[in-house]
Amino acid sequence: MRVLTFFNLVVAALSMGSVLAVAADDDVESIYRLGSGYPVSETGLRIGGYATTKIGMPRADPWYFDVSDLSLFLTWDNGSRLRFFSELEVGDVLSAGEHQSLGTQKAHFEFERFYIDGLVNNNLTIRLGKFLTPVGQWNLIHAAPLVWTSSRPVATENLFSTHASGLMLHGSVSVANRQLEYSVYGDISESIDPYRSKKPFENALGAHLRYSLTDTVQIGASFANFVLNDLPPTRYNLAGLEVAWSYQKYELSSEIVYRTSDHTNIKSTWQSFVQSVIPLSQYWFVVGRYEFFEQPQDKPGQVGLLGLAYRPLPPIIWKLEYRLGTNNETLAADGLAASFAMLF
Amino acid sequence: MAMRIAYALLVAILLPWFSARAAEPLAIITAAANPLDTLSLDDLKLVYLRKSQMDTEGNRWLPLNMPVTDSLRRDFSLALFSLLPEEQEDYWSVQYFNGISPPKVMASEEAILRFVASTTGSIGYVRKQKVDNRVKVLLLITLPTAK
Repeated sequence: MRVLTFFNLVVAALSMGSVLAVAADDDVESIYRLGSGYPVSETGLRIGGYATTKIGMPRADPWYFDVSDLSLFLTWDNGSRLRFFSELEVGDVLSAGEHQSLGTQKAHFEFERFYIDGLVNNNLTIRLGKFLTPVGQWNLIHAAPLVWTSSRPVATENLFSTHASGLMLHGSVSVANRQLEYSVYGDISESIDPYRSKKPFENALGAHLRYSLTDTVQIGASFANFVLNDLPPTRYNLAGLEVAWSYQKYELSSEIVYRTSDHTNIKSTWQSFVQSVIPLSQYWFVVGRYEFFEQPQDKPGQVGLLGLAYRPLPPIIWKLEYRLGTNNETLAADGLAASFAMLF
Repeated sequence: MAMRIAYALLVAILLPWFSARAAEPLAIITAAANPLDTLSLDDLKLVYLRKSQMDTEGNRWLPLNMPVTDSLRRDFSLALFSLLPEEQEDYWSVQYFNGISPPKVMASEEAILRFVASTTGSIGYVRKQKVDNRVKVLLLITLPTAK
């Protein structure tokens, strides 16, 4: 409740500021709109972000509540060939649980993304900084208000680092009258990322392709060669495939990743998921997901998820889901979860 | 029989109105000084999705829109994407997460004309009869029937 009040105050303050900014101008977008951020006059700066609160009731573990993400976006784009983007995340801002009173003891800061884009031409942009690892599609749009479930599939985060720091070349080209989006990157997290993510790369080289087959179907492929910051240091090769179909409000998507290593004691592993979304009405959606995941130190796991989502406005989503599986205790435990997320 | 005559009369009265609307062209405009002379519909789509960032001269595209509730904006959105503006909100939420803003929104056709005339790389749309010598027409689009 305290958090909601805080947001109300922020929105009210931003709205008051925007009234001053609009003045008698032809440009009507200076007004704050939920889910679009706040443009700071004509500076090219835009401030926004998203917030998530979650309640989890794992079947074999204590319940917990947390304001799991409070992410702040800062974008600068004044129409020149350079633009800047950063996402500063305050994780576990407020948490409580069966054995823990409500407090901020788990709160931590992290730069999720921090990069400069230099536009070379219409097909090529050079990115320098920290960015989301382009493996599959989920990791690239993983923010809670943009996805249908409170939990993310194991295959979208378990076998690689979700962030990379270094240099990326990205853009799109036209192939057979359709857009082929590409990214090629080199990571040197060890040297340049002072706020290192969970399970970071030591170094990596990778590429991602995504092609629109039709207006409703996209396919993609990923490849990465990397060393994780882990013991023992091991070099891995990872390959991934993705497909997504959406028509009106129906969706079907799937991702598969396969990882091999040069270490004889680490077995090759593949993980995947398939997810469908079916609209029940304008605002209500039912979500089903099946996951299969091999685990380096356990038997292969499987999980089924059935969820319900209520989205009264595009930037706001309420979710409720139940997960049930086998050999899934470590990576995707059975249980109930509910969450609220909002882009602001 | 009476019903059939009434129906035929109704069609006869409404058809010219709908035909007139369907035939009303929309002009895609840029500054008169812009060396670019034409733009294809596919390229225009990419500009308005912010997937195409630069014109052939290396200037950043600055696409302009009318407000979401304006009938011209809704017709333009249907003509270009076969979607209404509100049906594209999911797309723009994802772009927002990646630091990309949607086209700038202007208050009126005259505002678009003024902005386009004075800003390199800007591109907008107005009804054909509003075009004057401050701007150049890159493409004419026939509007679909308003939804």
